[in-house]
Amino acid sequence: MDDSANNNNNHDTASASSCVNSSQQERSKEEQELHELVVPDLRDLPVTPSSAVDSNFVCYFAPDFMKPGHDQYIYRHANGLCVIGLAPTHVALKEKGVTAIDFNVGKSDRSEIRVSGKRKKNAQHFEANTALCKVCTGDAYYIVRCCVKGSLLEVNDRLIDQPGLLNSSFCITG
Amino acid sequence: MSSYTEVSQVNADEEAHFVAASEVAQVDTNNKEAAQSIGEAIPSLPPHVVKDLLSIGVCVRCIFRFFGVRGCAYSCLSLLPSDLHHSSVEESKDSHDCSVGFCFKASENLNCVLAFQESEDEPVFCSICLGILQFAYSKEKEMLVKKDSASEFAVSIAELVKQEGHQIESFSLEVSVPPIILANERAIWLYMKTKYGSESWFQEKLLTEHTSVKDALKLSIMDSLGSFLFGTGSEDNLVAPGSEFSEQSAREADAVFRRSLDGLPDHLFCERFTLPPERVNQPCHLAFQCYRTPIYIGGRYLKYSRNVSQTRWIIDDERMGQASVEEIIGSNMLPILRGDDYKFHAAGREDIDVRMLGSGRPFLIEVQNARDVPSCVAVKQMEQKINNLEDRLVAVKNLKVVGNQGWTLMREGEAEKQKQYAALVWISRPLEEEDLLTISSFKDMRILQRTPIRVLHRRSPLEREKIIHWMKVEKITGSSQYFLLYLCTQAGTYIKEFVHGDFGRTNPSIGSILGCRAEILQLDVTDVKMDCFLTE
Repeated sequence: MDDSANNNNNHDTASASSCVNSSQQERSKEEQELHELVVPDLRDLPVTPSSAVDSNFVCYFAPDFMKPGHDQYIYRHANGLCVIGLAPTHVALKEKGVTAIDFNVGKSDRSEIRVSGKRKKNAQHFEANTALCKVCTGDAYYIVRCCVKGSLLEVNDRLIDQPGLLNSSFCITG
Repeated sequence: MSSYTEVSQVNADEEAHFVAASEVAQVDTNNKEAAQSIGEAIPSLPPHVVKDLLSIGVCVRCIFRFFGVRGCAYSCLSLLPSDLHHSSVEESKDSHDCSVGFCFKASENLNCVLAFQESEDEPVFCSICLGILQFAYSKEKEMLVKKDSASEFAVSIAELVKQEGHQIESFSLEVSVPPIILANERAIWLYMKTKYGSESWFQEKLLTEHTSVKDALKLSIMDSLGSFLFGTGSEDNLVAPGSEFSEQSAREADAVFRRSLDGLPDHLFCERFTLPPERVNQPCHLAFQCYRTPIYIGGRYLKYSRNVSQTRWIIDDERMGQASVEEIIGSNMLPILRGDDYKFHAAGREDIDVRMLGSGRPFLIEVQNARDVPSCVAVKQMEQKINNLEDRLVAVKNLKVVGNQGWTLMREGEAEKQKQYAALVWISRPLEEEDLLTISSFKDMRILQRTPIRVLHRRSPLEREKIIHWMKVEKITGSSQYFLLYLCTQAGTYIKEFVHGDFGRTNPSIGSILGCRAEILQLDVTDVKMDCFLTE
């Protein structure tokens, strides 16, 4: 706050600065009140909160889907959308882990599909046994299936460049 | 039976004042002007045609319309023969000698002719305007009403308006009439053309240039309606916007009728319609409606609850959440304004579990047909009433009546404005000093967000670039893994997804920046940086 005084206008400046003072005081009072509202009571918080996935999705597992060791997860949101992925116990994630992923299976390259608009035009209809992609470990490849009947909206194309995500951050970003 | 609807819209800002004395004087002056105008018009009417038209059931005002009489002639309150006679006699005293005889002669003829009409036993309803310009109409239970004059009709309309109890300063009148009248007018014109087409007075333009039934009705009653409602009337006879949906569809149907009629050549028209139009035994139905154009009340709201949605949210007959901001504010305002209904509009929205704190979010309540426009004091009282509700779920600030500009104020810049948030974040490892510095160092950071999965079912799958203007971490004493994250972002940023990453679909995210798993437990909006409805 600038208290530069013109001697002639001392009175004015003083009252002006007191005006500024009080509005500043009011502002910081508001900020204090806001702060009090925002800061939580630790006693109400769990030591480890549930994750966003657990809170918003129903988690299903499909162990040994069509083949032994092919364990996959299906996270279903209340709005009907599902996220499909490899469960941590999937045979591909053992030993050295996944080295590459290929979305070109069946009749088309799944990573090339472009779904547009609210009505999700161009989404391909899949059955439970439709192949989504192939994951390759050093010496073998495994087919990942859809597990549910529905339309494919999107694939995780980050896995093309970073297949290692499947090994490290499975269930979250893989 | 044909029907016509008459809608009177009333719009105003301040209280009405009633000046009784001047209204009588006004009416008198109008009458004199009207009488003068009629006195001038009558000589131009060929008497044999007038007689013919009267005999086939055309009313006096429709005759005037057909001969192109305009303007204030229609506002003559009553078209009784005796009035006409008197006024033209007075006029003739002042006018030149050569025209005296002419005036007399024409009015005498008209007199006789009108007397002819009056001597009939049955009330005759005009075969063109179906009784509209004779101020005769049917009400719901087959009841026939016939007013003797325009002013009587205006009085009955004014009574209906006063019953609603609006506080008004001005009004506008909207009339819609059955489209068959168009066909009737054309039928009469073709009949006239066939019979009198060769005569000198017949002009081709008569069909298109005459005053319409709507305009004639408005001209007849506007001034007296204005006088009865308050001292002055509205000059503006144009249709006011905001009519009800049924009005709209009626107008569209009329437009279709008009178009098909225009497309019909004369010879085909003569085959389908009788020339001249048949006599009618019953007038049309009159439906009257009176409502005020919507008023807007703007302000900012705060939401203190994590279980209150912004708008009413009902799925399968079950309400989601405890209440809604829309209903809390609207239902407390509506009875004070004595309105029919309200609509809630807000500048953006927040999830049901997100609180709206700080300066609040701008909103607008649109009230339909408010009987009372609140004064400043009343608005303050409304604000206090809402803020003192027992639940304290919602509060409002800076409430005031706004004009139409409130709408544009809110919408403009909605997408560009910045928002500030406070988020309670948990990470899967202890927070370090380095993290605080890392996070504060980002200024105007660009992030790419794919449409979050939780809304992907109803929004387009797109990748949107958003800007995080700044961030700040505040440690929470007693916890190493919980902290408060303050951030300021571009409008339209999904904060929750920015924290947990949404399966890596939002990049970068707090999780990716700190290299661990991050979860968001609570979110509060602390500031909506917009210029409207701020504390003055």
